[in-house]
Amino acid sequence: MVLLKKLLINYPYFAAVILFAIGTLIVLTRSNLVKKLIGINIIESAVFLMFVAAGNIRNGVPPILNQGSPDAVYVNPLPSALMLTGIVVSVSVSALALALVFRLYKAYGTLDARRIAEMRTEVRDR
Amino acid sequence: MMTAVRDNLPVLVVVAPLCVAFVLPTLVRRLRLVESLVIAITVIGLLGAGYLASRVYPGGGTALVYSVGGWPAPWGIELIAGSAGTLVLLMVAMVVLPAALFSAGSLTREVGGSSRAVWFYTLFLLLNGALAGMAVTNDMFNVFVLVEVATLSCCGMVAARGHSRAAEAALTYLILASLGSALVLGGIGFLYIITGHLNMGFASQELHRIWQDYPRVIWMAASFLLVGFGVKSALFPLHVWLPDAHSYAPSPASAVLSGLAVKGYLICFMKILYNVFGPSLIQEFAMDRIITVLGMLGIIAGSLFAIAQDELKRRLAFSTVAQLGYAFLGMGLINKTALTGSIYYVIGHAVSKASLFLAAGAIIAATGKERISELAGIGRKMPITMAAFTAGSFSLVGIPLFSGFVGKWHLLLGSLEAGNWLAAAVIIAGSVLCGAYLFPILRIAYFEPAPTADGMDPGMPQKLAMVLLAAVVVILGVAPGPFLELAGRAAVDFLAIR
Repeated sequence: MVLLKKLLINYPYFAAVILFAIGTLIVLTRSNLVKKLIGINIIESAVFLMFVAAGNIRNGVPPILNQGSPDAVYVNPLPSALMLTGIVVSVSVSALALALVFRLYKAYGTLDARRIAEMRTEVRDR
Repeated sequence: MMTAVRDNLPVLVVVAPLCVAFVLPTLVRRLRLVESLVIAITVIGLLGAGYLASRVYPGGGTALVYSVGGWPAPWGIELIAGSAGTLVLLMVAMVVLPAALFSAGSLTREVGGSSRAVWFYTLFLLLNGALAGMAVTNDMFNVFVLVEVATLSCCGMVAARGHSRAAEAALTYLILASLGSALVLGGIGFLYIITGHLNMGFASQELHRIWQDYPRVIWMAASFLLVGFGVKSALFPLHVWLPDAHSYAPSPASAVLSGLAVKGYLICFMKILYNVFGPSLIQEFAMDRIITVLGMLGIIAGSLFAIAQDELKRRLAFSTVAQLGYAFLGMGLINKTALTGSIYYVIGHAVSKASLFLAAGAIIAATGKERISELAGIGRKMPITMAAFTAGSFSLVGIPLFSGFVGKWHLLLGSLEAGNWLAAAVIIAGSVLCGAYLFPILRIAYFEPAPTADGMDPGMPQKLAMVLLAAVVVILGVAPGPFLELAGRAAVDFLAIR
């Protein structure tokens, strides 16, 4: 019961853990390269969610200095700012990865990592 | 003007290559100009690193602290050019300059076209800037950003030759490396959530105050960082991407990837472990034992895999896995001697492996032969190339008067000091195994009768690059003095936090 309550209160972290697990599962078990990339994006989103949730304060106000209400509780803007950088990084990783996947698709005609490995060994054996 | 440059040097050594990198694509049609620009910027990097070291070295070693943008430590990003920082900067500059020299003229053929070579140089300088940044930064989020810049440029460089095998190697690397970065970011996130700081010094103070309240979060952070940085710096069971990536890259890229890029991540890991967790918490959370065991496994398994390879660059790539094991081993033993050895070994291996990869690249470019069994008689046809290769091999095996010996000697003494006999035995066994995969190459090259195959030493810049690296390998072995002193001070600094 205590555990359940903890989970309910900290639901953003719980969601991050679930997302992380789903992403890892996809990366490790799917052989389709595009799905693997989607898995990586899900993992990254999980980490971003964890950061942003850590910056949030319930009933907090946006961190803009407001002379009218001196006792306002501001949310921490730093994690959100950091995650903007993180999102930019993740977009560039996805772009590069998609370019490489495209290159492989042109060479092998498939997106399946296992098929690609098979075709490669066939070429080497010949 | 000069004082402005001098005062801002810790940030300039990072930013200058990054800025020049983005100028290069505008000069796509002027490859000669690009090549001279790249060599110039790497020479400037070496001078800058040398100047910083000369500021830090005398007088007990006071670190230069620089606040980016004028914002002081807990708010802004802090760069520290201390003993460890300047030493790593020197290492980066000492490998990047010969690699740039070697690329001049030979790269166009390897990557297929001069405009591709220019793009390659862009990535090369981005990697240079990112590695310099990793050397001096003292901010955890900055570490993450630099790690990502380095990873992306490494991937581009692996794929630079353009054939589908290289693209596949790059994609495998990219997928595993992004998993690694997500884990690193997660680990940094856990530390930030419980300490409220991204600056390593402040995070460390806070962590030591509160660690008893959050043992589970710290376990999570430590394991995320271990696996994340482990993937990136090819810690033994996580090294699977390395052999393909490093052997399909163009040779100057292999030299930089194998010599420097993995070391950059390793240094970042060392910094976060020692500067944030500190020796007491490393032991409390068992990181030292895990790292030592994985390092030992890496030495043995990496060497055995290397012996089984017949492709020259692949054997060198597996050798990197083994040599990184030494660096991790020294990192896990937590005493001054072993840590000094580990830092010195990282530098010795960087120059040795770069010289091996450049020599291998020259051999493959001249003869078109990638297999070790086909190299008979190459030692007489390409004397300078094979001399550089021999210097690198002797250093890795750990023969006295070569740089690898100094590092290994300290690692050995350190493991005895820690009472870890197994580690000492593994270090010696690793040296024997290293001889078992490098000496046959020398035997085939020098003592087997030469077939009619052709092959001659490459052009002037390539020869100069290999001679420079071989000279550094020997200098670091014969006169380790100032470098060893700096490595020792870096070790003391790392161990200073409780």
